[in-house]
Amino acid sequence: MDESQLIARVRAGDSAAQRALYDAHVDRVYRLAFRLAGDDALAQDFTQETFIRAFDRLGSFRGDAAFSTWLHTITTTVVLNGLRKVKRLRQRETDIDDAQAIGVMKRESEPDLKMRLTKAIDELPEGYRTVFVMHDVEGYTHEEIGAALGVETGTSKAQLSRARAKLRVVLADFAGEWT
Amino acid sequence: MTDQHEDPKFEQWLKDVARTAYHAPRPTPREEMWARIQDARRHKHVIELRPWMRWAVAAAAVLVLGIGIGRWTVRQQQPAGGVTPVASGTDASRDSSRDLAYEVAATQYLSRTEAFLTSFRADAHTPASSARFATQARDLLTTTQLMLDSPAGSDPHLRALLEDLELVLVQISELNGGAHDTDLITQGMNESNVLPKLRSAIPAGPGPVRTQGAL
Repeated sequence: MDESQLIARVRAGDSAAQRALYDAHVDRVYRLAFRLAGDDALAQDFTQETFIRAFDRLGSFRGDAAFSTWLHTITTTVVLNGLRKVKRLRQRETDIDDAQAIGVMKRESEPDLKMRLTKAIDELPEGYRTVFVMHDVEGYTHEEIGAALGVETGTSKAQLSRARAKLRVVLADFAGEWT
Repeated sequence: MTDQHEDPKFEQWLKDVARTAYHAPRPTPREEMWARIQDARRHKHVIELRPWMRWAVAAAAVLVLGIGIGRWTVRQQQPAGGVTPVASGTDASRDSSRDLAYEVAATQYLSRTEAFLTSFRADAHTPASSARFATQARDLLTTTQLMLDSPAGSDPHLRALLEDLELVLVQISELNGGAHDTDLITQGMNESNVLPKLRSAIPAGPGPVRTQGAL
């Protein structure tokens, strides 16, 4: 059964078809949510929300683009909006923690490559980080990224290039590993 | 310019390291998530927008857009260093009318929310009234979330207040008639001082008066 038939059966209320559609796409959705959120509980929340929205709105899917493209548009919207809300809450908590921690700050020891890389990617501007994670880490094409984020393919390429350039500067200490 | 930075060796190394080291996901918890998706869809409360609600949502969107544009343009016109230039008569009157529109809209929204929460705290102890309050809370929640996601939400004072209101309104919108739930929400409102904060954000006096300082 091809995907358009599967979608037609989901629309008709077939729960087995719903599960089959979920099984076909859940890995990619969860992986992207996890990479962007960096937290299993958040990644699960975002994945669930993505599928709930997708099933609720399947009637508006016209089939002009691939179902996966449509689903990844929902995924990126859910994840990025969710992360903005989490960031707001965490910022408020951090402000309180920072106020309490004044005077007890210690100099951090030199972090290893994994920590430095994670921090460097986390600190990229949201657009750069999203494109970098989707393309270089999860293997999406620029066409898929452009469709999911609602930007031109050229914009996706430019943001990836800038993200790599920033990371190259921040990770210059490790230049011996790639030269 | 970006072409100067291209380095295939670095790009390959970065990909390899990032794929293994950057937030590497664990195996997908398919069954756990599927069970929760099914459960959430079974218990989902579908809100059908009646014609007047559609109008209200559209009005809220227009309101938020107006606030956002107004505040953004005002900010763009402010020079670095915070020195206020002497405005021409035309600019001054345009800024004045834009400020007035913003103040009217913000004051109306805050006043309406304040009245709603005051009424809720006093009257929400019966199942019938809980249902009524839940409906009204969903309406206000839509406006609150639109404001939070608009440029108006970039004002730190307004955003903090809107976030507190969002939390309370979400709780009220999910009320199902339990007196215990109502007590918990009221207790939370008291502990976070939502109503006093809200009231201090609403300017005293009749008509559209200044909201500066609060917003």
